[in-house]
Amino acid sequence: MTLAELKPGQKGRILQIGALGPLKRRLMDMGVVVGEEVLMVKVAPLGDPIEVLIKSYNLSLRKKEACEIQVEAV
Amino acid sequence: MKPGAGIQYAEDRDSKKSNETITLAVAGNPNAGKSTLINSIAGTRLQVGNWPGVTVEKKTAFFEHDGRKIKLVDLPGTYSLSPYTQEEIIARDYLVNEKPDVIVNVVDATNLERNLYLTLQLAELEIPLVLALNIYDEAEAKGYRFDLEALSSMLGVAVIPTTATKREGVKALMTAALAAADSPRQSIPKPITYGDDIERAADAVVGGLSAEIPEALEQYPPRWLALKLMESDSTVLERLGMPADSRIVADAVGHLRKAHGDDMEALLADARYAQAAGLTREVLKKPDIRKRDLTEKIDAVVLNRFFGIPIFLAAMWLMFKLTFDISKPFADWLGAMISGPFKRAAEALVSIMQAPAWIASLVSDGIIAGVGAVLVFVPVIFAMMFFITFLEGSGYMARAAFVMDRAMHAIGLHGKSFIPMLLGFGCNVPAIYATRMLENPKDKALTALLIPLTSCGARLPVYVVFIGTFFASQAATVLWSLYVMGIALAICVGMVFKRMIFRGDAPMFIMELPPYRMPTFRSLMIHTWEKGKHFLIKAGTCILAVSIIVWFLLNMPWGVENKKDSYLGQVGQVIAPALKPLGFGSWEAGSALLAGLVAKEIVVGTMGEIYVKKEEEGEKKEAPPIREELAGIVTSFGEAVKSAGMNVVSTVGIATISSDESEEKMAERMPLREELQKQFTPLSAYAFITFVLLYMPCAVVAIAMRQEFGTWKWYGIAFAYQIVLAWVVAFVIYQGGKLLGLGG
Repeated sequence: MTLAELKPGQKGRILQIGALGPLKRRLMDMGVVVGEEVLMVKVAPLGDPIEVLIKSYNLSLRKKEACEIQVEAV
Repeated sequence: MKPGAGIQYAEDRDSKKSNETITLAVAGNPNAGKSTLINSIAGTRLQVGNWPGVTVEKKTAFFEHDGRKIKLVDLPGTYSLSPYTQEEIIARDYLVNEKPDVIVNVVDATNLERNLYLTLQLAELEIPLVLALNIYDEAEAKGYRFDLEALSSMLGVAVIPTTATKREGVKALMTAALAAADSPRQSIPKPITYGDDIERAADAVVGGLSAEIPEALEQYPPRWLALKLMESDSTVLERLGMPADSRIVADAVGHLRKAHGDDMEALLADARYAQAAGLTREVLKKPDIRKRDLTEKIDAVVLNRFFGIPIFLAAMWLMFKLTFDISKPFADWLGAMISGPFKRAAEALVSIMQAPAWIASLVSDGIIAGVGAVLVFVPVIFAMMFFITFLEGSGYMARAAFVMDRAMHAIGLHGKSFIPMLLGFGCNVPAIYATRMLENPKDKALTALLIPLTSCGARLPVYVVFIGTFFASQAATVLWSLYVMGIALAICVGMVFKRMIFRGDAPMFIMELPPYRMPTFRSLMIHTWEKGKHFLIKAGTCILAVSIIVWFLLNMPWGVENKKDSYLGQVGQVIAPALKPLGFGSWEAGSALLAGLVAKEIVVGTMGEIYVKKEEEGEKKEAPPIREELAGIVTSFGEAVKSAGMNVVSTVGIATISSDESEEKMAERMPLREELQKQFTPLSAYAFITFVLLYMPCAVVAIAMRQEFGTWKWYGIAFAYQIVLAWVVAFVIYQGGKLLGLGG
């Protein structure tokens, strides 16, 4: 499953980042790296973007970007 | 290459002589309290400018500390030193090329691990470094316990706990920074070890470089250079003129690729994170039980599925109202001062000098009117900067973007674009300046292009005169239709531009939602003042120049009697035929529209001058004595303060977009209205106000765009598309209306 599919309150571990180039690098620089645990915090009122907790800080990203991140539920 | 071998590159670093200027570069993550810290170090000595060639803000300060001359440079806040964002490239280029004496790395103590990721990248640059463990009070309040000595010895640099908001630790930080400048070799951070495989590859790259491009190794830190080449860093490759698949690198990383796959960037990032995580484990003890903190509690309400949007809209309404209501009485006061006592004093001075009439006119109608035009913007710019700084500093700006992104993204904009667009309804000028909150240049440019379609307060006087004359019975509906038309067209134009000019990758939306924090009053004041001052000096001179040029156009050739023969009137005659299909093809309308280039409310004033024969000026009112004049200035300022306060307290009506013209003014406009009824039909009147809504951004917006983007390009595009759009829409309205039999 992808990060975008996690339900609020659900935790996942990052398996793979499908994006390439700047998007991948940007994600990595923000702490989105393989093996990291993420908690889906909430979805924005209009349904996009999402907010996740990673490396003990809050990060928001669009679902389109979250779809590039493969996770397993934990 | 072994850790520590970089000392050789740093060999030329000698301790500073006591009379030399020490350069400190301040680097850190966004939201790490960097600017608050800088404000508490340098305060009002900060100078704000731009980094060369880009619109990213550059702050520098020159001052003395303990008798030493210091130059402080604020680098853009970044999460990393990758080559993908403007901010990162600027920070990196500065550090690598300018080689500051000391890096002051500001680290958020409440978020140590992610912040250390940048620290470890800075450490590779082999520049003496001092670490400011900022927001220390908050971390302690959370129950975090740091082993500062361990952190210091593991990184090999001084670690100073600071709380910038309370100005704690700032002195110690400065002392440590000066000490680092004095003993540079002991203050270069220990480079991180990436493990044997990577280290061996880096050694091999350095070896290859020293054989083939030895001069590169003198210019850049060798180990950093090797690592960047292994990451296929596009900027570094380009600077060295190396191809991406260069043999030097390919040979060295061959076995790494076999073992770990192709992605060297990810491999190195993982290694840095592992190191950052390890360091954090060693030096930081967090309490076992995590309390639900204030930020979570606020966000539960503010980002709530049902309340999120209403709360956002209420917050925006409040900000809009405060910005324009607080500033309006002061703008009015400044306006009255300029056209009253100031103008009278200047006229008196001119008549004492017995200057010819044209000089008197140039001074009072050109220069003083120009100064007035600049000054009336000052209160609104200051007020806007204050609220924007507050929104950003408090952390709500990121939430606003989070809540609105879906809607704004639909027309190709960023969630944050909503705020500048909203401000546009008050005045387009502060709205253009507000686009600086958008980090991505594409988002910023598109937002700025759409802002002129939001109907600003200056267009209102034009609407009011025409609506009052032709549509008195449905005034509200007609006025409302103009605002809605502006918004609808902004959406359409946004979608078109998204596909035409801004094709390609949509900018990313990967944004930290920082904890809520109360910005310090001092910080707010310094930022507001700096930005306001910037406007006053730079934009002020341009606006003044434009105002003087327009005066010349209206009054030249010398001794022109009829406005029709002035340069403005002549140009008005030239463009009149182009306006004919829109229903207002007279030179009068053309000239008035041209004059509106300076500021749209001038359209009405110019029409008044052109259409209505000037009454012989009655006896000039005798200027009041100086003492009364001064007393008047003071009491009217008191009135302005009072009415700003009243505006904040009252919750009904917005000063700027309410259409209440005083009765006196209405009466004054009666002759103009009668004349307009002869010249326009309701249909052509509606076409005309539509044209005024759309036709072009005013000169002050032009200057703001030039200042924000460093080029005239975006103003040029805005000007061109708006002229076309205005013409087409007015054409459709007028000709369509005629076809429908609404009268010609």
